[in-house]
Amino acid sequence: MATATLKEELKGHIIEQLNLEDVRVGDFVDSAPLFGEGGVGLDSIDALELIVLLEKHYHINVTNPEEGKVVFYSIDSMADYIEKHRK
Amino acid sequence: MLTDAYVTGMGVISAIGRNVGENLHALLHKQPGIAAVETGARKEAVMAGRVAFDDETLARNLGFSRFPVSRTSLLGMTAALEAWGDNRHIPGLKTGLISSTSVGGMDKSEVFYDDFLAGRQADYDVLVCHDSGTASERIAEFLGITGYVNTISTACSSGANAIMLGARLLRSGRLDRVLVGGSDALTRFTINGFESLMIYDREWTRPFDESRTGLNLGEGAAFLLMESEKSLQMTGNRPSGRVKGWGNAADAYHQTASSPEGKGATLAISEAIRTAGLTPADISYINAHGTGTPNNDLSESVALKNIFGASVPSFSSTKAFTGHTLAAAGAIEAVYSLLAIREGTIWPNLNFTEAIRDTGLVPVTEPEKCMVNTVLSNSFGFGGNNSSLVFTL
Amino acid sequence: MHYCRITNEDAVLDGEKLLSFEGAADTGEKLLALYRYVAPDYPKFYKMDLLSKTSFLGVELLKSSCSGLASAPEDAVALLFANSESSADTDIRFRDSYEIERLPGPSLFVYTLPNIALGEISIRNKWYGEHMFAVFPNFAPAYFVDHSALLLDDGAEWVIGGWVNVRNGPDALIFAMDKGENRSRDGFMSRLEDSLEELYRD
Repeated sequence: MATATLKEELKGHIIEQLNLEDVRVGDFVDSAPLFGEGGVGLDSIDALELIVLLEKHYHINVTNPEEGKVVFYSIDSMADYIEKHRK
Repeated sequence: MLTDAYVTGMGVISAIGRNVGENLHALLHKQPGIAAVETGARKEAVMAGRVAFDDETLARNLGFSRFPVSRTSLLGMTAALEAWGDNRHIPGLKTGLISSTSVGGMDKSEVFYDDFLAGRQADYDVLVCHDSGTASERIAEFLGITGYVNTISTACSSGANAIMLGARLLRSGRLDRVLVGGSDALTRFTINGFESLMIYDREWTRPFDESRTGLNLGEGAAFLLMESEKSLQMTGNRPSGRVKGWGNAADAYHQTASSPEGKGATLAISEAIRTAGLTPADISYINAHGTGTPNNDLSESVALKNIFGASVPSFSSTKAFTGHTLAAAGAIEAVYSLLAIREGTIWPNLNFTEAIRDTGLVPVTEPEKCMVNTVLSNSFGFGGNNSSLVFTL
Repeated sequence: MHYCRITNEDAVLDGEKLLSFEGAADTGEKLLALYRYVAPDYPKFYKMDLLSKTSFLGVELLKSSCSGLASAPEDAVALLFANSESSADTDIRFRDSYEIERLPGPSLFVYTLPNIALGEISIRNKWYGEHMFAVFPNFAPAYFVDHSALLLDDGAEWVIGGWVNVRNGPDALIFAMDKGENRSRDGFMSRLEDSLEELYRD
């Protein structure tokens, strides 16, 4: 299980990387979907930016955009993935 | 009577040849121009359609020696000169140039940037090439066209929009003849960009195939010389075809992706057929946009089914020959569409094995001899800028 | 014709000053202030590049003065834009992302075309009409006059024109005219070139 610290740090990175001006770290629900209506409502370009984020901050390479759909489902799933793959 | 836009000259340079004859030969003989190319964008080579001549050779062939000049300009001048031929200035004929580009002189700016970052003496003069309008001005100057000069930048539909605008300016009488087209060079900028969007295929692109994963970029330029009836009488030129219909519509869906229901594409195609005074059943061949990205080819297939129902005409994408040449694509494919009419041949869609599951459309995969009276050519750009053109004899 | 002007100093709608940018440090801050003034509640705004932001806000302002725009058929609003710097502002940011940071930024790349601004306006308003973006060395009123006439003759009921640069701070003139205006007012089109020149230089 990923640590709370990692999740908080991740939320900060997401806000910065995606220019989410109106969103605060506290607005995220860890288990809620990041994409689509409701939640923080990310789109397909945001998904690509999340791939850049993983590479920039955690040195993790996601090469298949399909893989991203599972990894970027929620803060929980992203944090778990980082725990497993970070170098 | 409103005049049609008569095409009396064509010029093209692409990965499959430096003029109309060479391009035609490659299309007929299924000789693609896509190969592994070193670009410096990444460590490994990428699959791309590069024009086989370096800048110095292009300039020498043109007898042009005013450096610095961008590759986008040189490619544009080469194609524009072929289309213009030995036409000359005629007093009383309003002549214009509408060119288009998406990268402008980015190729030269990248050289400048490398030098600048490395602390070498960087040549500030090259930066004048960066501007998108520079290529048009270079071409106009080179051919001695001094009147109306315009540069369009609407992404991958730019070339088609230049043709559409030219046809309208002829019809409204604002111009009597106009050279229209587009030009784009390969750059690290665009290769990195499409890679960052994860729609650059590391293999050879496979338009309309179920297994497609992205596009290969290409470079090149093409121009058409279009004249009004009045102009034809004065120049004595013989037309090889006409631009008969056009349509442009917004997709209003996403910055870069096409809508799943192909709304903008459907609107553009139906408008082009309508302004041509035709019905869908009149179309003999469709030169599709067909970039090879999962999104475009599906959305375009849906749009084709929206318009043509169960009887979609013969269609193909020629991008597996040339790569996606961005702003030049609409102009290059306009030349291929007019050649299809002239040669009575439908060009093959390379690398196709399995139809897209959701739509089941099967493109033409071998050069096919038949009567081609009317061609629809699609060019869909980022920003949801969708354009379609209809060409007839 | 209705128009708005967005410059380094202020935002003006139909001659009336709406907002002064005094105290705003850069273009981004100025546009953020104007966004808050217009308050369209459209979070996608934050992700746009400066060219899109400026164009988007100009059209939002015009919508408040052109009541007919809201009821125009979805494919009858044409967008006719131009500038002198294409998408150079974002081009440079994208180039820095791959040359300096070595990580090409996808959300930057999508804005490295000037016509994406028109896409943003279309998406916001669900407008499916024509859109055209041209690049000229200098402000080109004749382009707007010629092409507005073509578009209004060819089925558009509204034309929204815009000249938008951002490299040296916002410099935008965005205007809207409808078909009736084109037809009914004697000599409207013939005066348009001068009017635009005047509004831009003002």
